[in-house]
Amino acid sequence: MAKLIGNAPNQVPTNADLGSMAFEDRKNYATVNSSIHQPFRNLIINGDMSIAQRGTSVTGITSPGYHSLDRFNMNAYNIASAVYTMEQSTDAPIGFYNSLKLTPTTANGTQDANEQFNIEQYIEAQNIYNLDFYTATADSVTISFYIKTNNTGTYPISLKLSDNNSISSNTATRLYRTTYTVNSADTWERKTVTLQLDTSTSETRPTGNNFGMSVLFWFGAGSSRDGGTANTWEGNGNNCTLADNLNFLGNTSNEVYLTGVQIEKGTSASDFEFLPYDVNLQRCQRYYTMIASGTNKLVALGGAYSTNNAFFIYYPKVNFRATPSIDVSGGSNYFLLIGHASSSSVNDFFLEGQTTNEIVRMANVANFSGTTGSVYFIQTNNANAYVALEAEL
Amino acid sequence: MINTVTKNYDSITNEFCSYQVTYVNSNRVKSVPLDTANTDYQAIQEWIADGGVVIDNPPE
Repeated sequence: MAKLIGNAPNQVPTNADLGSMAFEDRKNYATVNSSIHQPFRNLIINGDMSIAQRGTSVTGITSPGYHSLDRFNMNAYNIASAVYTMEQSTDAPIGFYNSLKLTPTTANGTQDANEQFNIEQYIEAQNIYNLDFYTATADSVTISFYIKTNNTGTYPISLKLSDNNSISSNTATRLYRTTYTVNSADTWERKTVTLQLDTSTSETRPTGNNFGMSVLFWFGAGSSRDGGTANTWEGNGNNCTLADNLNFLGNTSNEVYLTGVQIEKGTSASDFEFLPYDVNLQRCQRYYTMIASGTNKLVALGGAYSTNNAFFIYYPKVNFRATPSIDVSGGSNYFLLIGHASSSSVNDFFLEGQTTNEIVRMANVANFSGTTGSVYFIQTNNANAYVALEAEL
Repeated sequence: MINTVTKNYDSITNEFCSYQVTYVNSNRVKSVPLDTANTDYQAIQEWIADGGVVIDNPPE
C-alpha cells in the first residue's frame, strides 16, 4: 500500500503494488451486492400484486391462463367441475396494499388424478443472464413471499429452468421441487426458500426473449401429479412433491392469498423490492397492454384505404417481448369506426403485416363501410368490449 | 382451447400476415402474428401438429 503514494508524478501502481486489492473474486462481489440491496434484484414482475390490467376480480374461471393479476399465469388443468375466482385483494400484510386471492366457487367433486392447479410466473432468459447455472459452481437463489390461507400444512413450490430455450411444459426443461410450511391458519406469514441452481453441465442456457426460468406455487395436485423427488434438479414432470391430498379446489371454503413474491440471487431474502407504480405497470406492459375496455373507449387512429377496408396504427407504450397478438372480445357491433361525419360498426380486427414489437397495424375488412381516404378512429361500443395486445411467455 | 384458426391476408399486399383464432365457449378472438417467439403462434403450431386444420381463404 505504501507504493500507492508514489515518489514521482504520473506513476501507475502495478498489481504487485496493489496486492490482493487488484483482484476481487466475482462470487464475493455478487454476495456483497446482494447484501446492499441491488436495484431490480427481484426477478419477479408485479410481485406486490399492484397491477391487474385484465380486471381486479375475474369470476367463473374454469380454464388455465392469465385472468387477473399481471404476469401470474394459472395452470389449471383437469380440474373437473371446479370453478374458481382470481382477484386482486386488499387483504395484505403490513407494508403491502394488494395480494392475489384465489377462491373455488364450485368444488372439483372427485379430484382428477391429473389435476394441476398452480400459479406460475415465467421469466425471460435475458433477465437471468446474471445467474450462473448449468455449471458446477451454479449460483443460489432465494424465493420469498407472503402467504395466508385457511389450511395449514406443507405446500409444494417448484422452480424451472429452460434447457436450450425449451418452454416451461417441455420435458427438456429442468425442474426443482421443494416445500414450505404454513404454520397458522388465516395469518400472513413470510416464507423463504433457498436453493442452488442446476449444476448439471449437459444442458444449454436459454437466451434472449425466450422462457428462462419460472416459479410455481402449487395448491392442487392429483395423485398422478404429486410424489416427485424433492430437493434435486431433474427432468420436468409437470408435477410437484410431498403433497398428498393437496386439493385446494375440493372445498369452496378454501382461500389463499399471495403477495410480496421475490426471487433474488443469493442465499438470503432481502426486504421486498417495491417499485414505483408506473415502473411496475410498464414492466407488465412488455407482456400485456390493455388498450381499451368498456364502452366508448378510444382504441387507435387510422383511415379508410378503400370503402370496405380500414386500417389503424397503434404505438405500444413499451416495446413488447415479441410481436404481440391482438386480443379482442369479439361480438356483434362491439366496435365503432368513426370518421367522415359517420360511423361504421364492426365486430373485431385482425393483425396486418409490418406489425412488430414496436408498432402495430390492425385492420377490418369484414364489416367496415366508409369513405376512401378519410380519417377514422376506433372506439369500443359495448360494455363487454375490450382490445388488448399480448406477448406473454 | 382453440376452436378455429383462419389465415389472415394483408389488406394491401394480399400476403399471408397473421392467424385469426377463436376459442371454445368464448367470444374471445385473437389475431396472432407469424412470430415464432409469440406463444399464441406456438400454440397454433401445436394445434396443427395435433390435427387441427387451418381455414384458408386467400384473396382472389
